Amino acid sequence: MKLGFSVLAAVCAMVAFSALSPGAVRADEPPVSVGVIANLTGSDPKSSVDMVHGVEMAADALNAAGGVKGRKIALIVEDSEYRPQAGIEAATKLFDVNKVDAAIVFGGSSVSIPIAELAAPKGKILMNTSASSAKLGNYGGTLFSTLPLDDIVGQQVGFYAASKGAKTAAFIVPNNTFGTGLMESAAKAFEEKGGKVLRKIAYTEGQPDYRADLQALVALKPDAIISAGYGDDTRTAFKAARELGIDAPWYVGYPSIFSVENDAWMNGKLSGVDNGGLDSPMGQKLKAAAVAKYSAEPRPHFYYGYDAMMLLGLAMQKAGTGVAAIKAALPDVAKSYDGATGKIEWDARGQRINPPMDKFMFKDGKLQAIAN
Amino acid sequence: MTDFIIFSVTTIAIWSVLGISLHLQFGLTGLVNFGQVLPFAVGAYGAGFAAVHGLPIWAGALIGCGLAPLIGVLVILPAGRLTQDYWALVTLGAGEIFRLAMLNISGIAGGVEGASVVRLGDRTLAMVLALVLLTGTALFAFRMDRSPLGRLLRVLREDETLAATLGRNPLRFQLVVTAVSWVMAGLAGVLYAHVTGYVSPSSFMVIETFVIWTAVVLGGPNTIAGVVLGTAVVQLTGVSTRFIAQWSHLPSELVANLRLAAFGAVLVLVFLFRPQGVIPEPKRRYNADSR
Repeated sequence: MKLGFSVLAAVCAMVAFSALSPGAVRADEPPVSVGVIANLTGSDPKSSVDMVHGVEMAADALNAAGGVKGRKIALIVEDSEYRPQAGIEAATKLFDVNKVDAAIVFGGSSVSIPIAELAAPKGKILMNTSASSAKLGNYGGTLFSTLPLDDIVGQQVGFYAASKGAKTAAFIVPNNTFGTGLMESAAKAFEEKGGKVLRKIAYTEGQPDYRADLQALVALKPDAIISAGYGDDTRTAFKAARELGIDAPWYVGYPSIFSVENDAWMNGKLSGVDNGGLDSPMGQKLKAAAVAKYSAEPRPHFYYGYDAMMLLGLAMQKAGTGVAAIKAALPDVAKSYDGATGKIEWDARGQRINPPMDKFMFKDGKLQAIAN
Repeated sequence: MTDFIIFSVTTIAIWSVLGISLHLQFGLTGLVNFGQVLPFAVGAYGAGFAAVHGLPIWAGALIGCGLAPLIGVLVILPAGRLTQDYWALVTLGAGEIFRLAMLNISGIAGGVEGASVVRLGDRTLAMVLALVLLTGTALFAFRMDRSPLGRLLRVLREDETLAATLGRNPLRFQLVVTAVSWVMAGLAGVLYAHVTGYVSPSSFMVIETFVIWTAVVLGGPNTIAGVVLGTAVVQLTGVSTRFIAQWSHLPSELVANLRLAAFGAVLVLVFLFRPQGVIPEPKRRYNADSR
């Protein structure tokens, strides 16, 4: 399986490079260093590690196809610990010591924005694979996102909940940029379709129990719960809802990063909007390769990381390794790149628009695609 | 590499100021402050508030440094009659309350989104400012340490009742130390905000308090040199392990965890073999007859 993927990846990369200038990796040339900043420790490291794996897999594919202008891509992975201070330290090392032109970043806006503040005056490139705050749009020319910002996904979630016949909804999200950003755009879309928002609950992350937060919903009896979140917190929130007897269906953004607490109770109750295109042939091959290499099914950020590295590699291949040239080439190569997360279309700021979105439902113990 | 060294020196200087602030409270006076991140955050949020509301930088600095001691006094007043265990809990809670308040009140400095602050583009200037701040606070703390007030604070640290029997009001002196040391931490917060260019609640988690505590305990809480040395060791351990990690060629997630483990191992070894810190408080002899 591993060998099969390597061949496929190399072929894909070679096809992508064919319009450019393919060539074998030259041993005498120093490698092109690309930085990766991810919270490998701290909060939610699982998705972060998946992103790194995606980047590694793309770099391997690019190297197998001849590297960048004959030079190998070498990754330098730094831990941001999900702390702004550590993220800045990692970025400073990458930019000033390792002299990388570009870094691929995983982390919330609280880590990504200080890194962008550092990168912008240095003229560096950041590929954002996870942060979704609208503030990231302020770093046009520096920061390019392979995932859509909150407003796009939130809008889809709001429309989806309304399309399922929900007239009233309550929101349960973590009190962070991701949760509240998605909540606001989903609420707006839900109300646009005639829905009524009964309550917005933004919980403090990392609590052992959310019954106190969810208690109000028992009396409100919403038709739907609209949510965003990830990891253990989502499991705790589900448990609280189950114990309180709240039986409303959950319509969520990114169901793939939710952790289900009780399979039987959740069966058919959890559905939502997630990254699209992952079930494409390329997505399926990547998934199989990731399972073979890392012994676990990858989360969506694996694919965002993969696309970020591929786009960078293609831009470097087209324009060389000068940072200004790469920046100029990135939007061009994105136009013809059919990625693991579908076609990547950027607005003038480098933020992803019109991403393919799929709908998933938790059924029979796993998430299953239900419609595009 | 030069820029990275400048960045590292700036970081060490800012965190050393926080350490000296804690030295005055804990090392000199015996106040167990587990909310040391609070005055740091107040200072930074002063800068954030100014940025969001269109005020000049100096106004943000003034707000941060003015509010820090005021909040310190507000925290210490209800805790003044409690023993040190409760003082630790109260300050720990106060730090979290402030962070959660900033998270939920978007009108102050962007709430959960945080706020962009004018960033010091000239990194050398940022380093010089940090070193000037460090020198100023170190000199001030040194003078305080050597003054009659410093001797009284040591008495307070060892035995509050004894200090009271000498006709001194312990709470009054604790208030003075808190106000002074929180101004220092507030200044460090203002500078930190302008060095990073961004203020958000996640920059001021409880873990930051324990980074400061680790440095202070490691270097020696009772000496200024110890605090600065401890801070340098803690910060440089974090930085140097990045290079070791890069050269090791092990899987990145394993290396990231090993980095933290190595960090913990250094601390455990120091605590085992040098519990008084690397630079302990020297014994001082005073000739009573010469007075």
